[in-house]
Amino acid sequence: MSTQDTEDIELPESLSYHDWAAAVREDRLLGQECGDCGHVSGVPSGACQECGGRDLTTVELPTTGEVYSETTINVPPEQFEERGYQVAVVDLGDARVMVRIEGDHVDIGGDVVLSGHIDTDDDHPAPTFEPAE
Amino acid sequence: MARASVVGAGMTKFGVHDTPLQELFGDAAFEAFDDAGVGPDEVEALYFGNAMGGQTENVTHLGPQCATHVGMAGKPVQRYEDACATSANAFKNAVEAVESGRHDVVLVGGVERCTPETGKDTDEMTRIFASASHRQYEQPTGLTFPGVFALLTKRHMHEHGTTEEQLAEVAVKNHGHGSLNPKAHFGKETTVEEALDGPVVADPFRLMDCCPFSDGAAAVVLVSDDLADSFDAPVDVTGVGHATDIVPLADKETPHVTKAARDAARQAYEQAGVSADDVDFAEVHDCFTGAEVLASEALGLVEDGQGGVAAAEGRTSRDGDIPINASGGLKAKGHPIGATGAAQIVELTEQVRGEAGEHQLDGVSRGVAHNLGGDAATTVVSVMEARA
Ligand SMILES: [Zn+2]
Repeated sequence: MSTQDTEDIELPESLSYHDWAAAVREDRLLGQECGDCGHVSGVPSGACQECGGRDLTTVELPTTGEVYSETTINVPPEQFEERGYQVAVVDLGDARVMVRIEGDHVDIGGDVVLSGHIDTDDDHPAPTFEPAE
Repeated sequence: MARASVVGAGMTKFGVHDTPLQELFGDAAFEAFDDAGVGPDEVEALYFGNAMGGQTENVTHLGPQCATHVGMAGKPVQRYEDACATSANAFKNAVEAVESGRHDVVLVGGVERCTPETGKDTDEMTRIFASASHRQYEQPTGLTFPGVFALLTKRHMHEHGTTEEQLAEVAVKNHGHGSLNPKAHFGKETTVEEALDGPVVADPFRLMDCCPFSDGAAAVVLVSDDLADSFDAPVDVTGVGHATDIVPLADKETPHVTKAARDAARQAYEQAGVSADDVDFAEVHDCFTGAEVLASEALGLVEDGQGGVAAAEGRTSRDGDIPINASGGLKAKGHPIGATGAAQIVELTEQVRGEAGEHQLDGVSRGVAHNLGGDAATTVVSVMEARA
């Protein structure tokens, strides 16, 4: 998704979980930037994770990034039917997010791009990424 | 000066127990009472840990039940829940209570059952353990607890070249140590080949990289510095550090550095007036082999990046220069969540007293315990030493 497509979408002034989840369902990632220290987080928080400031602005996060760490889970929790799925922490530049990887296995340092989301956990979506072309 | 002193210690064997939680806790508490030579009437309060009884056994408000069972009905009880750091947090608060003069004699302990004796199978327990990860931003990816520590360990491997063989060496070492400890869940030694041949749980972790689901309880009697000399063999608590880190994991600045452990260790060493070099032995939270590697570095016991190498070279074995997890650790001794932190305090007490039996270390007088909760977002580090 290009920046052009998202420019018109109004970002919530105060980012809640429900706003974040709704964005994930539209294949977008929202985070927060602190007006006091500039820290950017990958998910909503009531106050800045670094300085505790509450002057937070919702920001649109990039949808491409690099795998920071990853693992393949062969013993899943009970509500996850499949086995052998890959979970990764993806570095988006200013922030990191935890995601499910789809498609081919990606190693640390591999380039990935947002591919959609899964919603297998009781109406809690998780972003999915796949290897970049 | 001591912040507080342990004068009695007790724990059940870790393993599989078909015993209700209050009875299991009672076995550890009565052993601690008898070791201290006190009765429940002399004990002023209970600092109690149980992490997940509500989820595993439909039991909450367990504090007064356990207090009643051990003859302490009427006394104040506070229950702590901090994932795997549950009873270390109870211990920290108990230390503060006797140090401040709020109480002079208290009981601290924890109990948990995690084996199929609870009626929960592996998939269900995997889900319950995953409840310590973020409900909205981590659990929906299908993350598990082996997965959490796999993410931390994989990054450590990437940056420092830590290998799967080195992780296996941690398991081999801790199983070897556990084989000398009659209270350990696993009494059997293993080999690197056997460890590397096991099924993958969450790469790089195979079955032998993971601690077991265990049942068990541990407890200590803690008294003020002033009272300690009136007991036999007090072991002083000279430092307790406690720190947290950002949740969820992805937002931590450098997740595999386990900053909370470093912050807690700094506090504990400062209070005790010591440095990592002054530590004779350590019990660290090796829920997974990689977690021991990260902990040994965070506590300053080995150089950053060298945790795996140190294990492979035998530096952290019971006959090495800095023995880690002489009890077998969580890996072999077992990990009944809410009892684990208290059991580390029991181990430090027995080692410093020279009463650890077959797994006694030579000439140790100062030990450090490292108990973490969740994705290492809570860590409590305690320094204990022989009373001067
Ligand atoms: Zn800030």
